Amino acid sequence: MNNQPAPQRLLSWFNPLGRNPGSWAFILNRLTGLGLTMYLFLHLMVLGRLAQGPEAYEEFLALTKSPLIKLGELLVIGAVIYHGLNGLRVVLTSFGLGVRRQVQMFYLSVLLALVGTAIFAFRMFAG
Amino acid sequence: MPEQWTVTLRIYRQKTNEPSRYDTFTLEVNPDEYILDAIERVWAFHDRSLCFRHACHHSTCGACGMRVNGVEKLTCITTIRSVARPNAVLTIEPLRNFPIISDLVVDMGELYRKMEAVEARAVLPITEAEIEKPPHQWKTEDSQYVRLSDCLECGLCISACPVAATSQPYLGPAPLAAAQDHRLDRRPDLLTLIDSEHGVWRCHSAFECTAVCPSFVDPGRRIMDLRKQTISAKIRHFFGK
Amino acid sequence: MSKPHVVIIGAGFTGVAIAHDLALRGCEVTVIERGDICNGTSGRTHGLLHSGGRYAVKDKESAIECIEENKILRRIVPQVIEPNGGLFIALDDSDLSYAEQFIAGCEECGIPLEELTPQQALKIEPNLNPRLLSAFLIPDGTFDPLRLALAFAATAKHNGARFRTYAEVEGLLLDGQGNVTGVRILDRTTNERLELHAEVVVNATGAWAGKITAMAGLDAPVRPTPGIMVAYDQRLIQRAVNRLNEPGDGDIVLPQRRMVVVGTTSFDAENVDYIPVVEEQVKLMLERGSQLIPAIRNAQPRGIYMASRPLVGSGSGRSMARTFKCFDHKETHNIEGLVTITGGKATTMRMMAEKTADVVCAKLGISTPCTTRDIPLLSYRQYYTVPNQEKHYA
Repeated sequence: MNNQPAPQRLLSWFNPLGRNPGSWAFILNRLTGLGLTMYLFLHLMVLGRLAQGPEAYEEFLALTKSPLIKLGELLVIGAVIYHGLNGLRVVLTSFGLGVRRQVQMFYLSVLLALVGTAIFAFRMFAG
Repeated sequence: MPEQWTVTLRIYRQKTNEPSRYDTFTLEVNPDEYILDAIERVWAFHDRSLCFRHACHHSTCGACGMRVNGVEKLTCITTIRSVARPNAVLTIEPLRNFPIISDLVVDMGELYRKMEAVEARAVLPITEAEIEKPPHQWKTEDSQYVRLSDCLECGLCISACPVAATSQPYLGPAPLAAAQDHRLDRRPDLLTLIDSEHGVWRCHSAFECTAVCPSFVDPGRRIMDLRKQTISAKIRHFFGK
Repeated sequence: MSKPHVVIIGAGFTGVAIAHDLALRGCEVTVIERGDICNGTSGRTHGLLHSGGRYAVKDKESAIECIEENKILRRIVPQVIEPNGGLFIALDDSDLSYAEQFIAGCEECGIPLEELTPQQALKIEPNLNPRLLSAFLIPDGTFDPLRLALAFAATAKHNGARFRTYAEVEGLLLDGQGNVTGVRILDRTTNERLELHAEVVVNATGAWAGKITAMAGLDAPVRPTPGIMVAYDQRLIQRAVNRLNEPGDGDIVLPQRRMVVVGTTSFDAENVDYIPVVEEQVKLMLERGSQLIPAIRNAQPRGIYMASRPLVGSGSGRSMARTFKCFDHKETHNIEGLVTITGGKATTMRMMAEKTADVVCAKLGISTPCTTRDIPLLSYRQYYTVPNQEKHYA
């Protein structure tokens, strides 16, 4: 029951214009959620290569040394941390805990995700 | 002499069987005027075919909810100064997540059906209003008693809710807030509706409803509290009470 | 036998109440409104459910109407009323000397009243001016303007009345002798023009009544008399607070949701479609309002608006009676098919509708009596949830 066509309504999930931090939390949660789901498929496909013999797998492992893939891995790490922490934020507020602090909890989730990603980046590139 | 600004209203237009468009109207305004006053002047002096809903002009009735530059506002209490600068363009659009009847008017039927479904209370008498806080504590905004009868049923929360955008059967912030006000321990009959697929668990904690609510009903907090109530009710149920 | 069709122009308080009444008496009813329900004067009313106390000294006819209708509305539509009562407070000697007439007037009109000491008054309303000298508690109340109209409209719709909002009347259909046989309307949602035939057209457009009668070449003795209202962002009181004196500017403060609303003024206006806010009157409301409730000075205005009362008869402003008039233009101008109702106030909307429906029914030969005083109204939300019934018109 809406004049807008469905794709437009779906896109309105990701429109942050004029919205508040809570919506950013929602948008990031959706994006990381979608991203992690896609990663899961990718992961399964890679594991599937094992079935094609060790050569195919080794070939692929060589590919993962490229910086682009490493950057992708960092994104996955950041997404996992954010998505997990925001999940905790939603659980806490659902039990009535910290509802008035939900914005701060969101900022904290983003901050911790960034810090976590930075640590992994350091270990990957400098370590 | 009051301050004079020139602002341009860019108003969404939609008539049955016609494509939608935006019409612009440039007006001289006093920045302390309300957006609804400017829209009413567009209707009175420029274009009588403009359809918009309004009634009380002081945030009692909830008829004049619209989106101003993409953000849900009750236009009768939103001053031009609070959303614009001199020579600004203000885009005025109907609320999202409702079918459009004409121009800025949307069909609120679905929201009202849901408010009826949870039997939302409208007016609380003073004797009940005093339960939480005595009147002398209502002087400042923070300590004012939040009566749910303050819910204008204006639909701003539904328009701002990202979940309502894609899930039409979702009860939505205002009806869930009304259910919270009942308390599930007093109204166990509401549990089935609240604890359903389209009920309290559908919320994704964007808290946009609370941000746009012109009446400080704080639906976001109330939905969270309703989840707590739902869990307690189910635990009680589990132990056969 | 088909039901007679009545077109009501205007979906303000009067229009929706007439629709409710006529639908119950077996008429086919269509309500035409150029905007949405209550977009004119009715929506912008103060929201005071009068006990009649305000008119008990100078305008007893209105006062008696008020107390009777006050009791009826509390009974049939409690969902939109805060029945908290009201106070008349005296702040100076002039107010005190008015008290005697006030008590006598209320007694004569049957308005129950209770005298309070300043201490008692401050106990129930701590934000009253502490310098008050005396106070009277009377059965005033506050109502939610839009929801009050919607409750009537919802019930009318349920009983078969049809609402065409965003439809503007462009002209009346006349039969050649000047008699009215229907209306020509423009539907603003589709830009379609159509004609609706009707046995009787009821002109319930309040302050705009003259515009409709002019379409039949007639005058209407309506004087649009706007007044200002200012809503402040703190709910400082629970009851309507009136100045204990003759009605004047800014002498009523009402609680509405989390606000107080101060009103009003009284002046003449030409163009009632848009009445600009006058800065001096806003200042006057703050000054007068804070005499009754000093804490208003610490509050911020949240909404400022103008509403145009439709006063009837001669005289001007405050001196005019606040009662209503229903004109059958057959009697006044020998024009068949048109009835004009105007004047009055929100509190007496049901009674205005009863009197108008009596006139309409007499014209149509319907003898069913009015039953609206005893029938509880449906939830205001049902106006939006009950669909319009599709009907065919000749």
